[in-house]
Amino acid sequence: MRRLRPAGDAGELPTVTFGSKSLMWWGTLGFIVIEGWTMALLVVSYFYIRQNYETWPPLRTPYPSLVIPSINVVVMLVSCVPAYIVSNAAKRLDEPAVKRWLVVQSIAVVPTVVLRWWELWAINTRWDTTAYGSAAWTIVGFHTSLLVLDVVDTLGLTLFYFIRPMPVRSFSDTVDNSNYWYFTVALWIAIYLIVYVGPRII
Amino acid sequence: MTPRDENRTLPADVTLADEELEREASRLDAVWQTKRGLWGWLTTVDHKEIGRRYLVTTFLMFIAGGIEAAFMRTQLMRPGNTLLGPDKYNQLFTTHGTTMMFLFAVPIMTAMGIYFVPLMVGARSIAFPRLNAFGYWTYVVAVVFLYVSLFANTAPDVGWFAYVPLSGPQYSPGHRVDVWAQVVTFTEIAALVAAVNIIVTVFKMRAPGMSLNRVPLFVWAQLVVSFMIVFAMPSVATGSTLMLATDRAINMHWFNPAEGGDALLWQHIFWFFGHPEVYIIFLPALGFITPIVETFSRRKVFGYTALVMSNITTAFFSFGLWVHHMFATPIPELGQSLFTAASMLIAIPTGIQIFCWLATIWSGRPELRTPMLFVLGFFFTFVNGGITGVMLASVAFDKQAHDTFFVVAHLHYVLIGGGVMPLFGAFYFWFPKITGRMLSETMGKVNFWLFVIGVNVAFFPMHVLGLNGMPRRVYTYLPETGWGPLNLVATLGAYAIAVSVVVFIANVIRSLRRAPDAGPNPWDSSGLEWAVSSPPPPYNFVHTPIATSRHPLWDTAIDLPVITGLRSDRREVLLTTAFDARPESRHYHPADSIWPVYLAGCMAVVFIGSIFSPYFVLGGLGLSLIGLAGWGWTGAQDRERERVQVHQSIVDTA
Repeated sequence: MRRLRPAGDAGELPTVTFGSKSLMWWGTLGFIVIEGWTMALLVVSYFYIRQNYETWPPLRTPYPSLVIPSINVVVMLVSCVPAYIVSNAAKRLDEPAVKRWLVVQSIAVVPTVVLRWWELWAINTRWDTTAYGSAAWTIVGFHTSLLVLDVVDTLGLTLFYFIRPMPVRSFSDTVDNSNYWYFTVALWIAIYLIVYVGPRII
Repeated sequence: MTPRDENRTLPADVTLADEELEREASRLDAVWQTKRGLWGWLTTVDHKEIGRRYLVTTFLMFIAGGIEAAFMRTQLMRPGNTLLGPDKYNQLFTTHGTTMMFLFAVPIMTAMGIYFVPLMVGARSIAFPRLNAFGYWTYVVAVVFLYVSLFANTAPDVGWFAYVPLSGPQYSPGHRVDVWAQVVTFTEIAALVAAVNIIVTVFKMRAPGMSLNRVPLFVWAQLVVSFMIVFAMPSVATGSTLMLATDRAINMHWFNPAEGGDALLWQHIFWFFGHPEVYIIFLPALGFITPIVETFSRRKVFGYTALVMSNITTAFFSFGLWVHHMFATPIPELGQSLFTAASMLIAIPTGIQIFCWLATIWSGRPELRTPMLFVLGFFFTFVNGGITGVMLASVAFDKQAHDTFFVVAHLHYVLIGGGVMPLFGAFYFWFPKITGRMLSETMGKVNFWLFVIGVNVAFFPMHVLGLNGMPRRVYTYLPETGWGPLNLVATLGAYAIAVSVVVFIANVIRSLRRAPDAGPNPWDSSGLEWAVSSPPPPYNFVHTPIATSRHPLWDTAIDLPVITGLRSDRREVLLTTAFDARPESRHYHPADSIWPVYLAGCMAVVFIGSIFSPYFVLGGLGLSLIGLAGWGWTGAQDRERERVQVHQSIVDTA
């Protein structure tokens, strides 16, 4: 066996890091890329199907409604504010502020899921009537799975903060939860423009 | 002077005493060791344990796929044979293709990465060990589901690429195609989590000093392939789970032309994954070749930078070729030309790599040990497959050969030559590291010659059969076609392959029954994985090594510089900066956990249940909430002890 020669000491390195220094940030980024790319493929497929129709939406299919989706866009954008404040508080390791604003964030994100139910029906056609309906429902449905996942994550995180003392490392996870929420909202704005506003333009 | 000799004169500095190392090792053993018994087996998150299981399971799948192939070849060995009927034959070729592509080739390559990447980059573990275990169990669900279906006579029967409309609800009622769609879903999940794990491990857990230009080529290949998986696999997951399965289960119309859907969309979506898939199998194999060629040529590889750039270029190009699988469909002429050009272009980076290895062998002192023989077999077989690939890139030729045995010959030359031969070389090369035991050279040589002769006897005649007009996926043919003799030859070749695999298995069994005889570095190789005992301890390295060059064990022949100070009273890993690998932080490593296997079970309920009722989806998701909570909760519990120390650390740093 080779002999080992000590040439450095890691003992003084920190054990809690934020942003790109933390593993979870990279993991979250990985899943953001996978999910964003999946959505991109769905959107490309949506426009591929578009080529088969003279009009979009197809004849005798109404435009998607804009009211509920527009409201949800606003709700989502507003919900980014507590997410941002939570994230900043977590970076300061300010536990009382994190707990307080996580509650606000939880209250802000739950309505987005409720509104999503009406949003699905705002497509104004069923998934099994035309390929247009299938494409629109699949896109909104896939985003719904991401939305629900992040809302559950936010609620779970909030719950954990209140029922037990959280280790400091969790502050870093809390920042990543906010980052994932920004992604979910940004993705939704793109989908809102493509699925709900888009048919009126193209 | 060999590279190993160059630095023998390094001054011997202060080194750690053996007793001190033993004490540290026993402390680490207590913390990192997986528990014994069934519970330990279910809960382990050791990347080597998971990697070894992955290797064994994927190899079993190779045997299963091989048995299916043997049945098919026996059926085709003479005209009008009645061993298999058309339905059983359809199930067998679909299961064979699905097994070999989704359950063997891709996962065995990632399994090699899961086992070796942390060792090669000098890390104590993988980035997300619980996610890693979850990926393995999800993969096991796919294996069990497909094979239960096969024995229940409900295996998919529409080919491994499941073209619509054949696989759609109208032409494939029943659940056979649903099995295929969900098996694919499980394997995609497994591949994606493995890819993210390997990417993050490579970027954040490399040994100090291992800047990107010192990363071993095996690891580069795994990194590039992981990025390919991230961009390729979502495509087939979209096609199989979000489109095909929903068309079949809830009457969507993605592929139904009557309602505005499009059958060709499936081909685009599938091959946008399917073509990179070939390179996802082939690039890791290229990663195996470099260390084998270096070790047995006794010199450092020629053209490191060119090899890395070729890897990356191949990955990029591989996403621009998918339409060459669709030349028989109405693709615009400009598109055909573009994809023909791209298909020919990709031969260039592959050629560069082969020339680099040839230059290494040419200027070294080659030793023809078994791993090296398999590399030479790769050159011969793969180059043949590559040449027929360039032939098929021509639209005019492709239209003649489309869906004939010529294509079957081509794809087997490429995949067996480019994937399986380097893999066998890798088995012989790294088997001592995994088990502590050497494989027999004599049996290895028998294994090699039978394999390489068998492959060429089995698949070369198929070129001729294809050119003579024999279509693929037919269960029999008439004597008047004149295809009988060449089919008989091909079948004899397939039997030779089977015998060679039996020799390999016998070699493994023989070796496992003997006492460990390998030692840490039996081949006198240069990578960090050879700096630890064989098999490696659960914590990989007592102290994190420092990479002083691309070939640390050749360039630091006496003392290996290490970083001390990682804790030995709990699981802890060292994180370094993404590019230069400077030490950055210490990271808590999770304990063993039951939740990965539990959540994989929930995924089984969700996706297998979705074939039958949406209530299973809701039920499975509900159950997975418990798992997610448990996953997070366990983490919090584990970190509880760390709390005070973390605070202390922050105070200290401040």
